[in-house]
Amino acid sequence: MSYFRITLMRSGIGMPQKTQGVLKALGLKKRMTTVYHPVTQSVAGQIMRIKELVDVKEVKRALTPAEQKAARRPAPGYYVESRAAQAMKDWE
Amino acid sequence: MFGPFRLTNPLSGGLLWKIPWRLSRHQKYRQRERLRNVDGIVATLDNALARTGLSMKKVDRWKMEMPTEQEMLPKDKYTVFDRKVKRYRKGIHKVPKWTRVSQRLNPPGF
Repeated sequence: MSYFRITLMRSGIGMPQKTQGVLKALGLKKRMTTVYHPVTQSVAGQIMRIKELVDVKEVKRALTPAEQKAARRPAPGYYVESRAAQAMKDWE
Repeated sequence: MFGPFRLTNPLSGGLLWKIPWRLSRHQKYRQRERLRNVDGIVATLDNALARTGLSMKKVDRWKMEMPTEQEMLPKDKYTVFDRKVKRYRKGIHKVPKWTRVSQRLNPPGF
């Protein structure tokens, strides 16, 4: 099952109430919020209404908020040597 | 005639904002980018729905009726119809919220 990754790029301030309602319904509260919704006709219809404001990509899997936060976090710049072997095993 | 308190249009009273009557080439560039972004989103929706075997009237109608950025004439990209303007055309930057609305088609006959 694939998902739409929707990011609000332009604010809905000053847009008609119907447009702002769609943003609220999709859970886009402020600029640069990202939400995931399944690929359905109803979600596609909602995106059509706000297509000038958002960035949309189709993705395989929806990230949880914790995963999104982890993806934004920069690399720490170090690694613990005693755990390196374990980390390499997971990586391979 | 000279000096800080000379009589100019903005000083002689009221609010006077001047909007240039045509877009700069950088504004035109960004306008094209926005048009292309909207085209891309409609294509994304169409592909995603087609992959799951669904279709949608709204997306299909947009694809049928709306020209893409490449198909549009420069006249339609940067100006819009206005019945109150001489020769019925004004710059798209005079439309309220023009960077966040789609305005691609003309009324029939224009």
